Amino acid sequence: MRTSFQAVPDTKLFDEFPKETTFDVVVVGGGPNGLIAGAYLSKAGLKTLVVEKRHEIGGGLATEETLFPGFYTNPHAIYHLMVDYIPVLKDFDLSTHGVTFIKPNIQTAQVFSDGSSLVFCQQIEDTKDSMAKFSPKDARNFGQLMRKWHKMVDGILAPGTYLPPLSPIDMIEALGRTEFGTEALRLTEMSPIEIIDENFTNDKIKTLMLYMSCMWGLNPNDSGLGFLVPLLIDRGLNKAQCYGGSHKLAGALSREIHKAGGLILDNSEVTNILIEDGHVAGVVCADDRVIKATAVLSSLPPPLTFGKLIDQSYVPDELKENAENWEWDPWSFLTVSVATKNKPIYNCDDPWVNDALMVVLGFDSYDQLIEHFNAVLSGKLTANGEMGGHVTLETTYDPTLPRVPGHEIGFIQCHVPNELEGGWDSHKAQAGNDLLKVWQSYTTNFENSSVVKKSIEDPKDIETRIASMVKGSIKHGDYNPLQMGVFRPHDSCVGGRSPIEGLYLCGASSYPGGLIIGGPGYIAANTLAEDLEIDKWWKLPNFVSKYKDIYLS
Amino acid sequence: MHEERFDVVVIGGGHNGSTIAAYLAKSGLSVCVLEERPECGGGQENTEPRPGFRIDPHATYLYGGAAPGFEQLELWKYGFRMVYYQSMAGLVTQDGIAANLGGRWNKEVGVDSIKSLTGTDPQGAEALFLQNLGDNGQRDLLRSLFWTPPVPSEYELEPKDLPWWKVFRDLLPGFWTDRLVDMSFIDFLDEFISWEPLRCFESFAAWYCGAHPAWDGMLLPSLGGALLVGYSSGSPRGGMHTYAHAIIRCAMAHGARIITNASVGEIIVQNGRAVGVKLDDLASYPEKTIWADKAVISAVDVKQTFLKLVPRSHLDASFTQKVKDVSLKGGSLFVLSVICRELPKYHGNKDYFPEEVYPSCVAAPADNMEFFYTQTRDAYSHKKAPELTPEHLTMMICTHDVYDNTRCPEGYHILSPIYLEVPPPQYDVTGPEGINRHKEEITDAALKLLKSLAPNMDGANIVDVYLNTPYDSEFRNAGMSGGNWYGARQSEDQWFNMRPVAELGRYKTPIDSLYLCNHTSHPGGLCLMAVPYNLMHILIEDEIVEPKSWWYPSPWYMPPTKTGVGS
Ligand SMILES: Cc1cc2nc3c(=O)[nH]c(=O)nc-3n(C[C@H](O)[C@H](O)[C@H](O)COP(=O)(O)OP(=O)(O)OC[C@H]3O[C@@H](n4cnc5c(N)ncnc54)[C@H](O)[C@@H]3O)c2cc1C
Ligand SMILES: Cc1cc2nc3c(=O)[nH]c(=O)nc-3n(C[C@H](O)[C@H](O)[C@H](O)COP(=O)(O)OP(=O)(O)OC[C@H]3O[C@@H](n4cnc5c(N)ncnc54)[C@H](O)[C@@H]3O)c2cc1C
Repeated sequence: MRTSFQAVPDTKLFDEFPKETTFDVVVVGGGPNGLIAGAYLSKAGLKTLVVEKRHEIGGGLATEETLFPGFYTNPHAIYHLMVDYIPVLKDFDLSTHGVTFIKPNIQTAQVFSDGSSLVFCQQIEDTKDSMAKFSPKDARNFGQLMRKWHKMVDGILAPGTYLPPLSPIDMIEALGRTEFGTEALRLTEMSPIEIIDENFTNDKIKTLMLYMSCMWGLNPNDSGLGFLVPLLIDRGLNKAQCYGGSHKLAGALSREIHKAGGLILDNSEVTNILIEDGHVAGVVCADDRVIKATAVLSSLPPPLTFGKLIDQSYVPDELKENAENWEWDPWSFLTVSVATKNKPIYNCDDPWVNDALMVVLGFDSYDQLIEHFNAVLSGKLTANGEMGGHVTLETTYDPTLPRVPGHEIGFIQCHVPNELEGGWDSHKAQAGNDLLKVWQSYTTNFENSSVVKKSIEDPKDIETRIASMVKGSIKHGDYNPLQMGVFRPHDSCVGGRSPIEGLYLCGASSYPGGLIIGGPGYIAANTLAEDLEIDKWWKLPNFVSKYKDIYLS
Repeated sequence: MHEERFDVVVIGGGHNGSTIAAYLAKSGLSVCVLEERPECGGGQENTEPRPGFRIDPHATYLYGGAAPGFEQLELWKYGFRMVYYQSMAGLVTQDGIAANLGGRWNKEVGVDSIKSLTGTDPQGAEALFLQNLGDNGQRDLLRSLFWTPPVPSEYELEPKDLPWWKVFRDLLPGFWTDRLVDMSFIDFLDEFISWEPLRCFESFAAWYCGAHPAWDGMLLPSLGGALLVGYSSGSPRGGMHTYAHAIIRCAMAHGARIITNASVGEIIVQNGRAVGVKLDDLASYPEKTIWADKAVISAVDVKQTFLKLVPRSHLDASFTQKVKDVSLKGGSLFVLSVICRELPKYHGNKDYFPEEVYPSCVAAPADNMEFFYTQTRDAYSHKKAPELTPEHLTMMICTHDVYDNTRCPEGYHILSPIYLEVPPPQYDVTGPEGINRHKEEITDAALKLLKSLAPNMDGANIVDVYLNTPYDSEFRNAGMSGGNWYGARQSEDQWFNMRPVAELGRYKTPIDSLYLCNHTSHPGGLCLMAVPYNLMHILIEDEIVEPKSWWYPSPWYMPPTKTGVGS
């Protein structure tokens, strides 16, 4: 860290936040998970402090004026996949803070270079209409499959997000009890490609299905996590955008924390987790402030929590190993954000595409997409020089983002290796401009001259903004069977309870994983409340209790 | 949705709106703050357009060190932390002088540097005030100037009996003469400071911190502005936005409802009384009408309040005209943020600018008063873009990162903000967007000038440049009329109980239950928690709020007399 040459005043102007303070709980990191944990615990009466490195809380829930001056974007999370389930939205009446999600019908489209298009909607019949242009058979299959998959999500996968994970053996026993559970187990052993091949025939439909299955980081070729395909497809048709920006959700959680007597301390990097007599004793921040606490919840991934923040003599060997061998996300995002003078209109056969929450571009065939994913997984920017990704025009559903009236704001984003030969610095500008050209080439009116502001962010930039997303790991670590379920981050930390007494884990590197799903923070808050034997003021949501009754009784 | 009803509704969650919300919530009222943007804070903001680099588009220094609010609102509880600087200020001249003027916490730096340049005791007026007044004296003088509500007009005070002159007379009886009351700050500098560059520097400092130094009768408000920044000599850790966070968190902890993305479109007036507000259709809040039982407080600028939010049918034309005529001149800033590898190494005696005592704010070039006059002529005349030639473009170049390592990554520095005074966009003869047509030109001129003063500021050193013109600032923040840091000219005609116009001098308005709490009211711009502190006196008078024992009024507060006409 750089030095700073502060003066020490000879006169006290006023009191400042003390050099040493005591709280019941300290949460490291004010991302969605840290804030959720903090909100439950402070409302439970625990004196809670959330310590955040940045000047703004929210982590992935950011809405900032990155297209300065005048244009706000959501530089990180924009698609909220779990708003139908995430308990925090109901447990706290967040609508009193003006939290509103827009879940448009037109969810995900793809435009092909021949001008044809697919439009996947929340309303399944609308989706089937679009598919039927290419394959009536696939459309019919899709309808039936989605009925099944949605029940699987509703009955198993969504509730499972908000309870501690089961060991593989227990999981097999539990899920084996029902037809849907058995199907989920069967899918687990399949790769995304296999699942899609099994259900669809049309090349274009398969292409978009695969994109939706893998865009959050599933390896298309690998089996072991196939149960995530139904979840990602079902949720991919039920995405919502937070009106006013994703940060609105972070702001609302912060208000709940403060209302309940908790506090958020920003501009404070935690540099050390204190351990005394084998028990967590608090944290130290970059400005040497010491915060004592009986429990610390870390939302940072193992290489930071166990590898950097704790004196190694207190870290059990298996967790040292876990920290050393932790695999970061194999791919990250390259994002080009723009403010434009007019709304880009697609050159395609379906005007609904223009209002889709997300539009996939640049891939004409299933094989091309598979090759592209494989190229990225092997560390290359593209398979054959051609780029593709997904676009969202943020202003379509959130007109509050531009400060200058009459402008649109949007981005195109693509999967890229977190490191490139020669370093990202030497590729960023070219890659970003090429990617923007892909978007432009699919429209009738999106010229360079309509771009008012532009910014390009690569995986390194993601880490610079959010230190927990090392190498641009948007989920704090790869989704592979060895880092998922009970193994996320390690099977000695189930439910967020680490073997170091008083240390809990509550971030995306813990079960169930990344994205704005509210799982890790919720689970850790539950675990800590149980360990401290405090009254939980909240109840398990009905869909979770139902699941418990069927599978865990 | 149930009916939304609060004791008090505050329009605008900028510095002053958040602070009054904190005061009222702490006093036990139910309060709702409606903020148009995704974040509260208004002018107190830090943004990160480039990953890892936080720029200051508006406010940059803590001027409010003497504010009772720190104690009354207990901001320390809400995470408030300062970073104090070894040196606040420096000046650089075109003919090769670089003087480190030091600051409150390390006086030697400044004294040594100026002594070696001038051979005399250099500090003139500054020494007088900063050192001879003592800590409490400084605080009292500042509080009498800024943290005292305007006196009801029935008192008919002589200028010399205004609170700040009373304090001044008590503290410095030997220095007092009647003449001071009518002086401008420039008159004063002419008399007490002999070194021309320092005179030029002080003039700029006053201009950027308070009242324009040429305004007659405004000696102490002018000088007071400069004293304010010296009083703290630092900034909140992480930038001004974290100061806003502490205030807002205090409000939230006391139960205030804060709603962002909620732009107010109208103040609802019934029978001459403000009873609530209507949100714009786009607002991110399910209920668009919000009722206020006790008061509506407009913490947005006076022009928006009366020319847009209060329906015209409730106002008379002569009043509306006065509001239209409120002058915006003199505070419009063109703001550059420059990311670089090395700090500027100014030509001249570089020895005084090593990193550990690097002056946080450098005025450059500040050779003589001619620089000041040229630039003010430009900013006050109805011109199109400023006609500044690079030789006559004095910049305030601010940097925080040597003292506050949260601002940018290791290996970089960030000069943010670099301020340039320009004409208010409203008065541009080619239209308000005129200044934006000259963005590049002005930026080029500024960077060229910087390079001529600090040869290392070349293309290899400069990594990135961001800028916001005053026109951009207005868009970014609908409350920043004129992109002006104080919202309305702080001349004698628009100061104290004349601010922004006499009818509104004590934060009250022609509409019952509608109060003002924006920097267009006394004491004007800066994040001082002063407008809200002063307004509290009036709300107590009007029996809207009854704070507990943590509250104390200004010692110079003069309540309306029962018989008076002004109450
Ligand atoms: C470009 C991009 C796009 C994305 N898009 C989506 C999307 O559309 N939908 C979706 O659901 N998800 C999306 N994600 C992923 C999602 O944002 C993350 O998975 C999620 O934010 C993880 O939440 P978290 O609370 O576990 O961690 P984080 O959000 O990473 O929060 C951790 C917090 O800890 C702070 N921190 C780091 N180090 C320290 C320290 N030493 N001391 C104190 N604080 C520290 C960080 O600043 C951060 O605020 C996206 C991510 C990126 C980068
Ligand atoms: C370039 C520049 C430099 C400055 N430097 C400093 C400095 O170094 N130190 C310092 O202390 N001060 C500085 N200032 C001054 C300081 O920023 C302002 O004086 C201060 O922010 C005024 O606070 P306010 O609450 O009155 O208004 P604002 O901070 O402008 O707040 C008004 C708020 O109201 C909101 N709003 C507007 N219209 C509506 C509506 N219709 N409905 C709902 N909300 C609305 C706005 O979004 C905004 O948040 C600077 C200002 C500028 C422009």
